[in-house]
Amino acid sequence: MSRAKEALVGVVIVAAVLLVTFGTLWLQGVSLRAAETEVTAAFTSVGLIRPGNNVKYRGVRIGRIREIEVDPQGELVLVRARIQDDIPLPEDAVAILSPESLFGDWQMEIAPRDRFPAYRYSEPREEDHLPGYSIPDISQLTATADRISADIEILTERVGIAFSEETARNVASLIENTEEVTQRLSQLISQQADAFVGVTGEIQETTAEIGEAAVGLRETLDRINATLAREEVGEALNDLLAVTSNLRAFSEGVEGTSDQFRMTAARADSTLMRVSSLLATVEEGEGTLGMLFRDPGVATEMEGALQELQLLLEDVRLNPRRYLRLSIF
Amino acid sequence: MQLLLKPFALLGRGGMTLAAGVGQWGRLTAETVQAARHVDVWLRLLIPQMARVGVDSVPIALFIALFTGIVLALQASYTFTGAIPLYFVGVLVGKTMMLELGPVLTGLALSGRVGANIAAEIGTMRVTEQIDALETLAYPPIAYLVVPRVLAGIIMVPVVTALAIGVGIVAGWITAIQLLDMSSADFVNGLTLFFLPFDVTFAMIKATSFGFIITSIGCFFGFNTQGGAEGVGHSTTRAVVVSSMAILVLDAFWALVLL
Amino acid sequence: MGIVIRDLHKSFGPKVVLDGFSVEARDGETLVILGGSGSGKSVTLKHVVGLLTPDSGEVEVDGQIVSTLAREELFELRRKVGYVFQFAALFDSMTLAENVAMGLRRKSDMDREAIAERVEECLRLVDLDGYGERTPSELSGGQRKRAGIARAIATKPQYLLYDEPTTGLDPVTRAMIDQLILRMSDELGVTGIVITHDMDSAFRVADRFAMLHNGRCRFEGTPDEIRACEDPVVRGFIEGRPELMEKES
Repeated sequence: MSRAKEALVGVVIVAAVLLVTFGTLWLQGVSLRAAETEVTAAFTSVGLIRPGNNVKYRGVRIGRIREIEVDPQGELVLVRARIQDDIPLPEDAVAILSPESLFGDWQMEIAPRDRFPAYRYSEPREEDHLPGYSIPDISQLTATADRISADIEILTERVGIAFSEETARNVASLIENTEEVTQRLSQLISQQADAFVGVTGEIQETTAEIGEAAVGLRETLDRINATLAREEVGEALNDLLAVTSNLRAFSEGVEGTSDQFRMTAARADSTLMRVSSLLATVEEGEGTLGMLFRDPGVATEMEGALQELQLLLEDVRLNPRRYLRLSIF
Repeated sequence: MQLLLKPFALLGRGGMTLAAGVGQWGRLTAETVQAARHVDVWLRLLIPQMARVGVDSVPIALFIALFTGIVLALQASYTFTGAIPLYFVGVLVGKTMMLELGPVLTGLALSGRVGANIAAEIGTMRVTEQIDALETLAYPPIAYLVVPRVLAGIIMVPVVTALAIGVGIVAGWITAIQLLDMSSADFVNGLTLFFLPFDVTFAMIKATSFGFIITSIGCFFGFNTQGGAEGVGHSTTRAVVVSSMAILVLDAFWALVLL
Repeated sequence: MGIVIRDLHKSFGPKVVLDGFSVEARDGETLVILGGSGSGKSVTLKHVVGLLTPDSGEVEVDGQIVSTLAREELFELRRKVGYVFQFAALFDSMTLAENVAMGLRRKSDMDREAIAERVEECLRLVDLDGYGERTPSELSGGQRKRAGIARAIATKPQYLLYDEPTTGLDPVTRAMIDQLILRMSDELGVTGIVITHDMDSAFRVADRFAMLHNGRCRFEGTPDEIRACEDPVVRGFIEGRPELMEKES
């Protein structure tokens, strides 16, 4: 046994040990140079995040989730992450959990609070912990949409009952149309929910456009709130007429080619918008139409659902990449 | 009736042979553990055996890993055409090399190289009375022959496997960049995307068990060699066949138990 | 103390090899065990060093019953016994010098230089000085056999077992090995058992003879007694006349 051979054994072993050690560290994303620091964020629930997921700041990966635990009081979930310590985080930093891609990988994004002011952040007990908010899973988007359409259905039904004995027969038939169209809309949404696994590129675009529309929706809502106040029923019914025809066009468009889809989606946006504004008016109990709806609960619930939908849609608009990965399926 | 019973008789005999073999192998293993206390006997022999089992096997293991890595990258890109982003080539190459092909292909290659070598060497020593000679010179043969080989296998097969995994991944990486028009960042992204430190642990657990299986089965068949040169040939073949099968069975076992 | 074999029985499967073999090699003498091929001579020898365990009966070496010894005690005993294998059984992977040194490393507490010296001495004794760095594959059959003897005597054992030491060798080498056996016995007082069917060699080295036939001791006595023996089996064997033996069986 020559000394050289013995040395060779040593060299091979050392090479393997180094390879395993540094390979593992590298693949784990542990930076050997940059020092790291730990941040902790508090959430009410954490969705699908798990140790090893990325932590991002302004879209750049700055670390990984290390540990997730329920806090001793049992009301918050504490997520600990190691991040590079050379990044100055904003004073009012918050942590947002969201899907990074649709493979089920989640991420924690650190951002100033005013970037997403609408989120309801969990306030941590400890001062140096970040407030956190976990975005609902994208599957909740379709669920919310479904709920909205169900609400529309209920409201429309009531409108139908209220007007059936009225002299304005055309209004009644319009409302029937509305009901039919709404059903189709509901179908469409549930179809989307079914086909969620196989979402197509067009749906993304639609989703994005719905997002934009949703923003407009609130503006319109306010405007119409103002103009419709104390207005005649006839005007409201004219609006409903327009809404219905738009809805019809929308649902017909859905059956058309994908090229038409984009256009009909845009029309659907405005349709939805008007329905919402009408409903808002109704909620306020303003106008003759508003008087018809005696149960404020439905409308309130709908308002909440719309708001939630809007949050999601806003997220789609702000972080289209997160949803763009849909295309790989 | 006779004809009807024959398959069952064959099955029964096969089962008994297998059980007896496993039992004898288990006894050799137990004796090996016992013999490990003769440190003075085997310590001097460990490094040479590590060189034989490990260092000498590095070229063949790396050669296999090199081409496995290349083929994995090419096949992954072929399979993923269009539908799946190319960085999944990195995921596939990394995961496959670490979890399966690195340990198993290295194990199979070494069962042919090391297992056969051990069985032939010890078998020859058996039929030429060298093992008896060891006994008469007051060397416990198991401590002298089996312990250093099995230990060398346990230590060096993981080492060789680690190098093979590294080479396989790098080969896949280079293939991805050169032939698949992927960026290095893409590949690395895929590589790290689903990486868990446990993958490495898993590979090393497998490789260690393979190292033990290859060497202990080689020693077992070597020790039980009967007859002359023909017996040695027989033992060698059986050592390779049995340890290859054992590696595959063990592979499935670990996947069931640990994943 | 010597080596005493008492009523040794050994079968391999259905084949009975030893069927109540008893013989004794007294202290300091060289016992030659005769017997045809496959008569169980080697098997007997392997019982002496505990390489085989008897089905029944016992072997006493140096006052100890071999088959009852614990493993450590057996190794202790083996330090006193040298074994010359039929085909030398040299370790292929080592040089000649390393082969000879093997027993010394294990059986004695000599340091490196003393071992090297003793190896040189043993190789000179078997006329292989200068061959220390060769490997067994570079040696002829006779050289290997002599190397095997050198390895067995290196530790200066009290007992030496020779398994056909002269078979297949040229007459000169044979004579040399016989002289070596005699020297071990005369100068060092080694108790020896030699297995052979080489009658010339047997008569040169033997103090006493035993003949193993059908698993039992057919004859035990001095060289003069065996020459005068009337037993047709013994006669047939030493004179090489199979017809005499056939009549008997």
